[in-house]
Amino acid sequence: MIGLAVSRPARWALGVVFGLAVLTVYLPILVMIVFSFNSGRYQTLPFRDFTTDWYLRVAADSGFTEGLLISLSLAGSASILATTFGFLAAYGFHKARLPAKPLLLGLVLAPLAVPLILVGIGMRLQVTALGISPALWLVLLGQTVYVLPLAVLNLRVRIARIPPSLEEAALTLGASRLRAIAGVVAPACGSTLLATLLLTFTFAFDEFVIAYFLTNFQITLPIKIWTTLVTGFDPTVNAVGTFVFLFSVTLGVLAQLVLLARQSGAKP
Amino acid sequence: MAASPQGNPWPTLVPAVLLVALVFLVPIGNMLRLSLSTETGIGLGNYIAFFGKAHQTDALLRSLQLAGLATLISGLLAWPLAYFVAFCVPVRLRLLCLLVLIAPFWTSFTIRAFSWQLVLSDNGVIAWTMAQLTGGQVALGVLYTMSASVLGLALFGAMLTTLTLFGAMSAIDRKLVEAAASLGAQPWSLARDIIIPLALPGWAVGVTLTFIFSGGDYAVPTLLGGGLKPVLAQLMLSTVKGTYDLPTAATMAVLLVLVVLLAGAPILVYTLLRQRAG
Repeated sequence: MIGLAVSRPARWALGVVFGLAVLTVYLPILVMIVFSFNSGRYQTLPFRDFTTDWYLRVAADSGFTEGLLISLSLAGSASILATTFGFLAAYGFHKARLPAKPLLLGLVLAPLAVPLILVGIGMRLQVTALGISPALWLVLLGQTVYVLPLAVLNLRVRIARIPPSLEEAALTLGASRLRAIAGVVAPACGSTLLATLLLTFTFAFDEFVIAYFLTNFQITLPIKIWTTLVTGFDPTVNAVGTFVFLFSVTLGVLAQLVLLARQSGAKP
Repeated sequence: MAASPQGNPWPTLVPAVLLVALVFLVPIGNMLRLSLSTETGIGLGNYIAFFGKAHQTDALLRSLQLAGLATLISGLLAWPLAYFVAFCVPVRLRLLCLLVLIAPFWTSFTIRAFSWQLVLSDNGVIAWTMAQLTGGQVALGVLYTMSASVLGLALFGAMLTTLTLFGAMSAIDRKLVEAAASLGAQPWSLARDIIIPLALPGWAVGVTLTFIFSGGDYAVPTLLGGGLKPVLAQLMLSTVKGTYDLPTAATMAVLLVLVVLLAGAPILVYTLLRQRAG
């Protein structure tokens, strides 16, 4: 099967393109990681001495540590909200009989189809009109809406694969709809629910634009990074960047692995 | 009260729909209204005023140019990448290859944009290496230009489109490909007659999302494109945070969506039609 669809020279050419693409994607990140251990104040080669100073500075900077805590709790809440709502909605989109279903699905997925800055600016204008001052709970609402489509898309595929007989058995035996969903459908989606939690967490954790529009004083980690970035050359950014990169890549890859393992396991 | 097995579980849709309606739909509706409200009542005054200022129309055009170029490059690049992973790699290595390529996709977009500064700046890694090789000073002059923005967004788009394209390619029935090959089809005609047409909807999803994302992105144009020639998203943000001229900001936001959706519409319509047909 391998190579059936591709001739030998073409396979080599494609491999070279792939290799170059991987190199291009990782080159700047590697440079950042290297600079995060470089004692030089200016972000330029040659490499001076090895140091972990920048990491210590980040750990000592309350702007970064508080931002991290805020981001972790925001992303945690957003991922739980989005996965719960998304799971229920995915179930409803699969099972409910409702003429407006396609329209409602379109609505729930719509935040994915417009530039993200629109969610932020729309909410900002709205809360200004209502006289509400920017606050973290607004960021939470915005970020939940932003990651909700991912949850619905992920879980819809999974729920459609569950044999309906499982749930029907529970319902026939007298379980309430909610009980059947919580006791039969949710456990059957177990690994996909976990992957969805991880994925929505990662995206909410890195989300910047919505938070930027909707907070004033309690800032998230991405906003702290952003203000450090635009206000000047500060090598601590390399250390924070390395940390954030490794943290979110681990979560994202974990989520993908859980999903893909699930999918390849489901195939005959 | 226990629901009967015949019960219609539509209430499960309520939390998600309500949330999106309140946090997304209502604000967008109000934004539209705000953009249409002028001192003399409802009208297109804000829009006419927008197109009367050259720096604003320039920003709009720049947004389109950036999104168009990034989408074009990433749309082309995604084909060899997805093709390689889907058809040139042994099955057990396939997911690993895909993950290696797209892993950075799951991480902070801002951090990735920033890391390109380290490479592209005039005393960055490329300029330094070139200076070492040539023995002289090298002024690269790439950072804070449109090219740097295009690079940043095209790489992002290439990862995204490779992901959707790979999904479509791996959904193709391998027996179809094997049958065609055993009947004597050459690799090129396999690609042209079977694989590319069947994978096209997956590609269309990727490029549409890339275009929408690139058209509205703020981080890459700021960090790599610089602030001297802003795109519309940059102008919008400085309007909200700087001058508090909210009707103008609303007008820009509505225009951005309209333009991005209109430009992406042909691909979107095509995708929907294909999915309905399939």
